[in-house]
Amino acid sequence: MAADDLDTKVKLAIYELTAKTGSIPNSSEVSRKIDLDESEVLGAFGRLYKKRLLLPEPGDPTRIRMAPPFSGVPTKFPVEANGKQYYANCVWDAYGIAAALHCDAISRASDGHIDEPLTLEVKNGQPILKSYVAHFAVAAAHWWDDLIFT
Amino acid sequence: MLLFRSEETVDQWCAAHNIPRRPLVTLEQLWQLAVHWYANRLTVESRRPAPDEMVSIFASLGLTGPFWDPKKVDS
Repeated sequence: MAADDLDTKVKLAIYELTAKTGSIPNSSEVSRKIDLDESEVLGAFGRLYKKRLLLPEPGDPTRIRMAPPFSGVPTKFPVEANGKQYYANCVWDAYGIAAALHCDAISRASDGHIDEPLTLEVKNGQPILKSYVAHFAVAAAHWWDDLIFT
Repeated sequence: MLLFRSEETVDQWCAAHNIPRRPLVTLEQLWQLAVHWYANRLTVESRRPAPDEMVSIFASLGLTGPFWDPKKVDS
């Protein structure tokens, strides 16, 4: 199988399992889903990282920290959608989960400074607009320098 | 990328972390960014936008200047 085809297969498996379960799968779980040797899955993880489509967990390449817009660890941006709970990597990705799943969603987030609860909601394909703002502390050219901070 | 109730709390956060205030994005702009980035993420053809596409997407939402250019590494 060509590397591009393999990467697509792995990518789709990651997102299908994440959408279904609410959790990003590890390399073993992806391997089982698509009946592919785990070493090949890990190779695909590395190539997908280079394509900026996922971020492996630092120090553990068998796990995925980010498959944007989904987070592999709990964050301050939980998202309820399709009866499941997901975690987004940032406020952009909180909306991103609704956009990716094409469904209604609610994110019970909070103000980045004072921790006041702030709810983001998407209904019938549109956001319920409020006067909140998102602050981008890092310029676009540097988003992947330290994606966890970004 | 954090969410804030208002510009006031953005300024407080920037002061507390000694980080200069950078651009603010409205929820409408943020939703459009999310759709551009992620609407096809679960499909075979999904990919991250290329740098020039990013610039076009940002510009279509009124987000212009070096900060929004992924090729401007000194921004």
